[in-house]
Amino acid sequence: MPIRPVCAAAIVALATVAAPFSPAAPVPQHPSPPDVDAVLARLDDLYRSKSSIARMEIIVTSPRSTRTMRLKAWSRGEDEALIVIEAPPREEGTSTLRVGSNLWNFLPRIARTIRVPPSMMLGSWMGTDFTNDDLVKESSMHKDFTSRIDRRSDTPPGWWISLAVKPGVVGRWARIDILLDDANLPVEERHFDRKGRLARVMTFDETKMLGGRRLPAHMTLTPVDTPGQRTEMRYLELQFDVAIPNDTFSLSRLERGK
Amino acid sequence: MRASLPTTWRIAWRNLWRNPRRTTLALAAIGLSVTLVLLYDGILRWEADYIVDTITGPMLGHVQAHAPEWRRTRAMDKTIAGVSRAIDALRRDPDVAGVDARVYAPALAASGEEGFAVMVVGVDMAEATRPSRLLEGLQTPLGGRRVLMGRLLAEQMGVKQGAEVAIVGQGIDGSLANDLFTVAALIDTSVDFVNRQAIVMPLGDARELFAMGDEVHELVIYARDPARAGPLAARLAGAPELAGAEVVDWKTAAPGLNDLVELVSVMWVFVLVLVFVAAAAGVANTALMSTFERTHEFGMLLALGTAPSRIVGMIVVESLALGATGALLGTALGGAVVGWLYYAGFDYAKFTGGGPTSLSAFGVTFTMIIRPRLASIDIVRVVMAVMATAVLASAWPALRAARLQPARALRE
Repeated sequence: MPIRPVCAAAIVALATVAAPFSPAAPVPQHPSPPDVDAVLARLDDLYRSKSSIARMEIIVTSPRSTRTMRLKAWSRGEDEALIVIEAPPREEGTSTLRVGSNLWNFLPRIARTIRVPPSMMLGSWMGTDFTNDDLVKESSMHKDFTSRIDRRSDTPPGWWISLAVKPGVVGRWARIDILLDDANLPVEERHFDRKGRLARVMTFDETKMLGGRRLPAHMTLTPVDTPGQRTEMRYLELQFDVAIPNDTFSLSRLERGK
Repeated sequence: MRASLPTTWRIAWRNLWRNPRRTTLALAAIGLSVTLVLLYDGILRWEADYIVDTITGPMLGHVQAHAPEWRRTRAMDKTIAGVSRAIDALRRDPDVAGVDARVYAPALAASGEEGFAVMVVGVDMAEATRPSRLLEGLQTPLGGRRVLMGRLLAEQMGVKQGAEVAIVGQGIDGSLANDLFTVAALIDTSVDFVNRQAIVMPLGDARELFAMGDEVHELVIYARDPARAGPLAARLAGAPELAGAEVVDWKTAAPGLNDLVELVSVMWVFVLVLVFVAAAAGVANTALMSTFERTHEFGMLLALGTAPSRIVGMIVVESLALGATGALLGTALGGAVVGWLYYAGFDYAKFTGGGPTSLSAFGVTFTMIIRPRLASIDIVRVVMAVMATAVLASAWPALRAARLQPARALRE
């Protein structure tokens, strides 16, 4: 079954899995441990659908400055996404297209489209704490990680689920811990690097109805090694299973900006 | 009776030439070993100086200043602010020969659709084009969004001189930095990372691209006396113009390179051992042979009332004279060879059978033309070593001669 960190799913707003989200998904009885596969399947689908259109706000806080961007994102299937920055004016029209593991940025100021090379995948995406890699992360991480229920959490009531990388797999994270509350919504995600050190923490809150689903609308990504630095992301609008024109995920569309 | 020293020396000198062939051979052995040692010392000294210059000149400088966390994180926003005042103050410092101010910004560069990871390096053009600096002798005028690109990077990107490249990065405030630039020239420097990864532009252009104010990532300070980089760094660390910055000398900034220099600088010790062995063999052989053959003569001298100490003195002086003459000849010859090679240059590459003409190690390219040089300490060290060896090598034959029983010695 597909497993991937929620943040990757959330930032691209999305791709879909074969089974569409079902609001009637069975909620396991607590405090007896939930079925980890069922929980993760539901988590996987939380922000995903066959297609989606989202508007969101990203706030990047550093010791030096605070920057707010507004953007619109389209997604279809598991690996197509287009993100266009709408504000601030200086960056308006700057867009990112993802098709599979390829990533292109369109820069309207110099009218250029540039493909992000593999060596820059761990670089920052648009000055946020997200990396380019977060945007293209494959949804096939179930191949690379094994999952298990780790322990019961009291505040908030829920369960810690631990994903551990399988031996011999090359990747950035050795372990990802996810805290789910008793409604099976994500509360916190912790990423541990290859040396087992906590590298970044993602928290989820402001749960509300978006696109007919109840999910956390606000996420905060905090890199552990840079004090005073964080990136917040808030869904302003979210629609699932909407019709998206076929040419949306093409380079020519990318260069048309919004 | 106490003989005057010149008399002893005269007799010793005369004794040496009683067997001209043996003495000539001993002198040749000592002289040649001294010559070789001086040549080797010369190459080592050149190598140490050259390595230090090659390491510090283009990139490291002798002293560097950064924001405290920059060396660890290389984060774009870790800068030294209010830097123009600091640069002015440093340039007035009598111990400072030059100051380069640099910006390092990771970015994406593209001439077509394909992006490449690069490092944009903003430099003070006036400083960076001075002799033995990164852009030594560069004539190409920059400014007006004209930049330099490392040749290997250009080859990788398929970019030629005059091409237009887009540079995309992150401004210091997190905003998107992007602009188009013209590649004014491709550069080959002695610094690998620059050749492979860098786009070099004037400091002002880099600051504008990355939305930076009066700030830099690195101040590179060249000392008037490179050997005193450590004390200069210590002093500047407390200077008001660099308050709040981390100031280190190049040995701290690049410990691996420093180890290389240290390794080279202790190699003369092994060479000295070589001289001891060669000189000792020459002197000891001569001294031993000549005392053995003269056992009868020493017996006679002792019988006539010569003090044993005088015989010891004479044998030691003979050895010293032999050593000193050999050292003198060797120094003259070695000095001449080193001097000639210094002016002519010795192309080591010729001996690698058409191999590389330069050598890359620790991210720095070294040429293979050797220009050995000597300091007076090198000569003093070798001469002292030869003299000490001469005394030691003659000690046993001298003591043996002094302990001779005149009656028994006379019968030999």
